[in-house]
Amino acid sequence: MHGLKSRASCTLSCARPQAVLPLFMTSNPGLPPTADPDLFSCHTEPIRVPGAIQPHGRLLVLDASTRQLLASSDNWPDGSLQAALAHLTSSALPANPPGAVPVSLGVWAAQAGERWDVSAHCTDRHLLAEFEPAAPADGNGAPIYSLTRIFLPRLQAASSIEQLAQLAATEMKRLTGFGRCMVYRFDDAGHGQVLAEDVDPGYDSYAGHHFPADDIPLQARALYVLNQFRLIADANYTPVALRIHGAALQPSDIDLSQAQLRSVSPVHLEYMRNMGTLSSMSVSIVIEGRLWGLVSCHGHAPRHVGVATRLACEHLGQLLALQIQSKEATSQVAEQLALRQLTLEIVSHLSESDGTLSLLAQVPAMLRFARASGVAVVRDDEVWSVGEVPPQQAVMDLANWIEGLGAEVFHSHQLAQDHAPAQGFKDVAAGVLAVSISQVHRHVILWFRPEIVKTVTWAGNPRKNQVAADGRIHPRRSFDSWQERIRGACLPWSAAEVAVAGELRQALIGIVLRRAEEFEEVAHELTRVNKELEAFSYTVSHDLRAPMRHIAGYVDLVVDLEKKALSERALRYLGNVKDAAAYAGQLVDALLDFSRMGRAALKQRPVDMQVLLQELVRELSRQEPGRNVQWALEPSYPELFGDPLLLQVATRNFLSNALKYSRGRDPARITVRALRRPEGDGIEVEDNGVGFSMEYANKLFGVFQRLHQADEFEGTGIGLAIVKRIVERHGGTVWGSGTPDQGARFGFILPRVAPAAAADAPSPSKNNPSPRSL
Amino acid sequence: MLKPILLVEDDKRDLELTLIALERSQLANEVVIMRDGAQALDYLRREGDFAGRDAGNPAVVLLDLKLPKVNGLEVLQAVRADPALRSLPVVMLTSSQEENDVVKSYELGVNAYVVKPVAFDRFVSAIGDLGVFWAVLNEPPPGSSKASRRGEPL
Repeated sequence: MHGLKSRASCTLSCARPQAVLPLFMTSNPGLPPTADPDLFSCHTEPIRVPGAIQPHGRLLVLDASTRQLLASSDNWPDGSLQAALAHLTSSALPANPPGAVPVSLGVWAAQAGERWDVSAHCTDRHLLAEFEPAAPADGNGAPIYSLTRIFLPRLQAASSIEQLAQLAATEMKRLTGFGRCMVYRFDDAGHGQVLAEDVDPGYDSYAGHHFPADDIPLQARALYVLNQFRLIADANYTPVALRIHGAALQPSDIDLSQAQLRSVSPVHLEYMRNMGTLSSMSVSIVIEGRLWGLVSCHGHAPRHVGVATRLACEHLGQLLALQIQSKEATSQVAEQLALRQLTLEIVSHLSESDGTLSLLAQVPAMLRFARASGVAVVRDDEVWSVGEVPPQQAVMDLANWIEGLGAEVFHSHQLAQDHAPAQGFKDVAAGVLAVSISQVHRHVILWFRPEIVKTVTWAGNPRKNQVAADGRIHPRRSFDSWQERIRGACLPWSAAEVAVAGELRQALIGIVLRRAEEFEEVAHELTRVNKELEAFSYTVSHDLRAPMRHIAGYVDLVVDLEKKALSERALRYLGNVKDAAAYAGQLVDALLDFSRMGRAALKQRPVDMQVLLQELVRELSRQEPGRNVQWALEPSYPELFGDPLLLQVATRNFLSNALKYSRGRDPARITVRALRRPEGDGIEVEDNGVGFSMEYANKLFGVFQRLHQADEFEGTGIGLAIVKRIVERHGGTVWGSGTPDQGARFGFILPRVAPAAAADAPSPSKNNPSPRSL
Repeated sequence: MLKPILLVEDDKRDLELTLIALERSQLANEVVIMRDGAQALDYLRREGDFAGRDAGNPAVVLLDLKLPKVNGLEVLQAVRADPALRSLPVVMLTSSQEENDVVKSYELGVNAYVVKPVAFDRFVSAIGDLGVFWAVLNEPPPGSSKASRRGEPL
């Protein structure tokens, strides 16, 4: 319907398809009303105070408080005015407040057999009495009775809004006798669509046609809500002016909003004549104070609708409005219920997880939830998606833009009109529904729907100008169907979908907040456990080493004192006791070292691996001078960024392992390679020792894991666990591979960190779990 | 004229082993033994049970960290806060390798920090070295008590 955005002009609009809409004017606030001297100021046309009435009835205007005659229509025959006034004076005049609908004062039998239906209503200043020729009394056959007896039950049986509309069109046509009756509905943009019609032969059909919003100016819409019935009995009529009886009053001071006889604009009448429509009537369908639609009727011949029929028509409009309201409410409730169920499914899915909203992209209900073809979850600079979504950068930009709007829930079914870049991906995402979870972080969930190319049949080309040869713009002469292909829009998001998206947002915020609290608890718990662990290792350090020392000490004393008295075997046993105690002491020390590696603060700085390796090789070579070891070092090694002491510990572990497990090789070959890779720099140490089976590779870096028997190779089995801890605290990776009897290869890589960015301690995300969003 | 060595140790096995080690190092210094921190402070300040002892500070205090009542660090702190004891040499003789303990001890002004070796022969030589250094080689600050050789009356 957006083809109509390019409005032609006010005048063109004024002349637009008024055959359908009983008002003849439209407005175009976007243009100055004086753009063309020939043009009407559509939106300022005094439709409420035309100063004239239609000729099929007569009008008296009294002062609201004094009941003094102020004005009368100019069609009272001489002398009849006084009798009418006298009748009014004798009637019980309405005491209802200004703006209330007219009340019937019954039938006035004037002289000469004239019978008039009289009704009256008040404006804030005046009392208006309308006189219309009375139809003969119908008794039980009155239209209102048939409506209640026959039509209402059918209405209640209807299953859809379209069926309701069809029943109403047919009933309205039966009641009034017009040649064409149609029911149409306004969409959110104000465009009308014909839902149902009933036409006599010789009348054009407009079923399914659309009428642009511009057809009815805002002031006319407001009047339709106020006065729900309108009749133009004869398009050829000559308006009857109002004659003023007092001095201080203009005809245009008299508000005819509620008057049934109110005269309409001559341009509209011209247009009606052009179209061969000589009579028209409309009944408003008002739901919750909003103009939902209209029942609109037309005749090729003049047609008067009597008061009784008019009341029935008004009643029909109200019944229809009630039924539509109830149908819409029921379907919205049903839709919301279904959507809530999906919301529950989504929320429960998320509750079972760690609460990371990125998981939403894996919940199947997310797509069904909004009948979407794609879902994207954006958090800061990350995007997770499922289904058909625009390219990542486009999603980020869109999320950014939506965040900038500051709305909690945003929806558009024609995104490119609000966000120009969306034109580029309208085939996958012509429309979006989005909820913004956090105001602090960018955290947006977006549902996408693809473009649906729709063909709309307009009643006449809405943009075709109607300028005649004389340069004046005339009302349209044709409603020939004119088809338009609407592009750039998706299926609109329903009110229920938008509402439940808001509910989902609340639920998600709840989850995110709860997770944040839980993370905080975990952080507290971690701190507590760390403290406990510290106390524990202190105890181990102090108390566990003492007994080891005592055992070793007393065994030595026994051996010293009683060496001669003891047997060879007893001495060997005591030797075992001493060795065991010493080994236990080493284990305790190793465990303490390991625990220290995890807790000591990292003091990171550039470390010259060249120097570090050379010193270590020199030191290790001295330990086993008898061995034939061939060290193969490269001419240069990358500078690593880390804690020098810890890097030395890690490297020493690698080198001494290589030395230890190549014992028995002659020569033992130990190669230290420099590694320079995209993800960082490091070293790799290879030996030609006993190696190991890759079957056990996963155990290599565990605490106290040994792949060799203790007799074979000494050690506590903690060295590689310490290396792993050191490397991981630097954010690096460590690996090992081996082949039995061939040798092993161990290496690590540390990321390159700009010294300025390197914190002293491990990164906060690891040590201080923080809420991931909000 | 040797000053005594004050050994503060609560564990009786550690005490016995330390005394044996000191004995093997052939030191002539008397060894005064205190079993907890409070007692040690009373001795040093000549208070409580030790109000009547002769004036004079020991050549060195060998102090365990983990002690009943008043722990080693607290004893050290009290010693450094006391004008009469401030310059007394104090050596931590402990099982703890905790960096924290080491750092704190030095912050409080310890003269040396020795982790007891597990192997007895190394333990003996460590104690011997300590004793020789502090009781024989080191010139104690003025005001240290006049110590007598082993076997000689006080």
